[in-house]
Amino acid sequence: MANINLKKREVECKIVYYGPGRCGKTTNIEYIFKTFQKQVTGDMITTETDGDRTLFFDFLPMGLGKIRGYDIRLQLYTVPGQVKYSATRKMVLREVDGLVFVADSLAVRRKKNILSLKDLHENLKEYGLSIFKIPLVLQYNKRDLAEQGIPLMPYKTMERDLNRQLKAPSFPASAVKGDGVGDTLKTCIKLTLKSLKKQMGW
Amino acid sequence: MDIKKEIKSLLRHAELYKSQGLLNEALEQYIQAGRMLKKHAARIGNTKLLQAVAGRIRDLKAEIARIDASPDMSEVTEKAQNIIKEKFAFAEKEESRDLEGAVALVRFGQFERAMREFRQLMGREEFKLDAAKNIIRCHVTLDALDDAAAQYREWFDNEVLSAEELNKLRVFLQSILDKKGIRETLPVREPAPTVRPTVVEDQGVMDGEIIMPELVEVEVVGEEISEEEIIDISSVEITLEEGPGKGRTVEYDVSFQSGRVINLLISSSDKTLIETLRTGLELKKVHFYSPIAMFNGEGVVFSKSRIESGPKQGDYSLDIQIQHIR
Ligand SMILES: Nc1nc2c(ncn2[C@@H]2O[C@H](COP(=O)(O)OP(=O)(O)OP(=O)(O)O)[C@@H](O)[C@H]2O)c(=O)[nH]1
Ligand SMILES: [Mg+2]
Repeated sequence: MANINLKKREVECKIVYYGPGRCGKTTNIEYIFKTFQKQVTGDMITTETDGDRTLFFDFLPMGLGKIRGYDIRLQLYTVPGQVKYSATRKMVLREVDGLVFVADSLAVRRKKNILSLKDLHENLKEYGLSIFKIPLVLQYNKRDLAEQGIPLMPYKTMERDLNRQLKAPSFPASAVKGDGVGDTLKTCIKLTLKSLKKQMGW
Repeated sequence: MDIKKEIKSLLRHAELYKSQGLLNEALEQYIQAGRMLKKHAARIGNTKLLQAVAGRIRDLKAEIARIDASPDMSEVTEKAQNIIKEKFAFAEKEESRDLEGAVALVRFGQFERAMREFRQLMGREEFKLDAAKNIIRCHVTLDALDDAAAQYREWFDNEVLSAEELNKLRVFLQSILDKKGIRETLPVREPAPTVRPTVVEDQGVMDGEIIMPELVEVEVVGEEISEEEIIDISSVEITLEEGPGKGRTVEYDVSFQSGRVINLLISSSDKTLIETLRTGLELKKVHFYSPIAMFNGEGVVFSKSRIESGPKQGDYSLDIQIQHIR
């Protein structure tokens, strides 16, 4: 549930980028930070460990203007993808309002995508949330690597692996180039605000 | 495919995976390339390339081992710490969030910063005792019992805490020191509060402990327990009801506590215990020991993670959420 401050007339929504290690979560946020400067309201804060892997989270604050006199603030987070950071991943997920699941299109990462989605499902359950109900968008990242002759999974295969039951909006993307990054975020924001309006009875 | 081309392609993939930080995948490609180079050595005859591939494999393995051994927690920038403090406090009541924010810093392993925050919070009457206790807990978690005792003595010498508060802290810390076999008796602030010694059998109180009048109320806590009602738990005794150690009873000290969640550190040598205590496991038979009393109850394993650095490296950190106490 979004954090609502009636006195200041502010609503804070939390969108979390989830996905296996090295799939491009941080790269998504970096691109958003560079590209959507008008909406960005503060510094991007990263916590990196060895070889630019995320240690705790990345954080980016954004502003979406006003709805019914309320200032809508958005906070983007990434989780650390490495398997061993499972406790931190769960902490970062707490009180999430919307989710982007970034999957890695590289064929060699097929199983990791599936495991990470399962991990997300489990963690949401422990917070009493359902992966089927929460605002969720899937992103199939690194599509640009096809040009380099690296084996990628076809879009269809990824849909079958990850989205057969969820039926969430999904986007091919290249976070390094920025393709699909904006569409992914905008769709997630749309779904998150829709669910927020419902909660607020707007 | 032509073998040379195939090897070339394997090496190209390996390079790319490596540049993406996908080290295991890169390693796999190099190993395959190495195998093919060996198998077709007579035809290809490129020993230099084979050597180069062997070198890459060696380097990658070292890199993977190094990253695996890198710490789960380390100090982050002050800005990141501010986010932890401000955004990872979820208490309903705004007033409680300041304390919770400092506890969040502990959860993310930012001990020095957390202690600074707790020291500041001691300036606020409503947080004074909790903050002081958390400072002690940080020292205990860092295995710095000397510092914990020195901190107590410092508070004892200045006028920050009342005699009653000091006494609560003393009972709390003394029980930890005693457990760890440290022979240090913390000074008692005079006039000592009225104490009534008691025995284990009739009150469910630990040997040699004292009952403090204002805490006796916590005797029976109903089904639903709220954060405020939770007393300080200093250790737990868990009876295992499944796994290879079924029936076994284990006792662990609590390294820190945040409301209903207590944290235990489990030695890496106790493999069966670590395996048995999986996330989500319900613990039906738990004795919770507080410095003043013992309660029966139930808990659930909330999370489990391996500690990757520091004096406790390799051990496991386990969060247990208290479900019921009776
Ligand atoms: N070619 C290509 N590389 C990408 C793309 N997105 C990310 N990468 C690369 O993949 C690697 C990992 O990217 P990150 O954004 O750090 O991945 P992450 O998901 O944040 O990883 P963790 O923090 O470890 O969970 C980096 O080398 C990126 O440059 C993409 O769309 N195309
Ligand atoms: Mg990252």
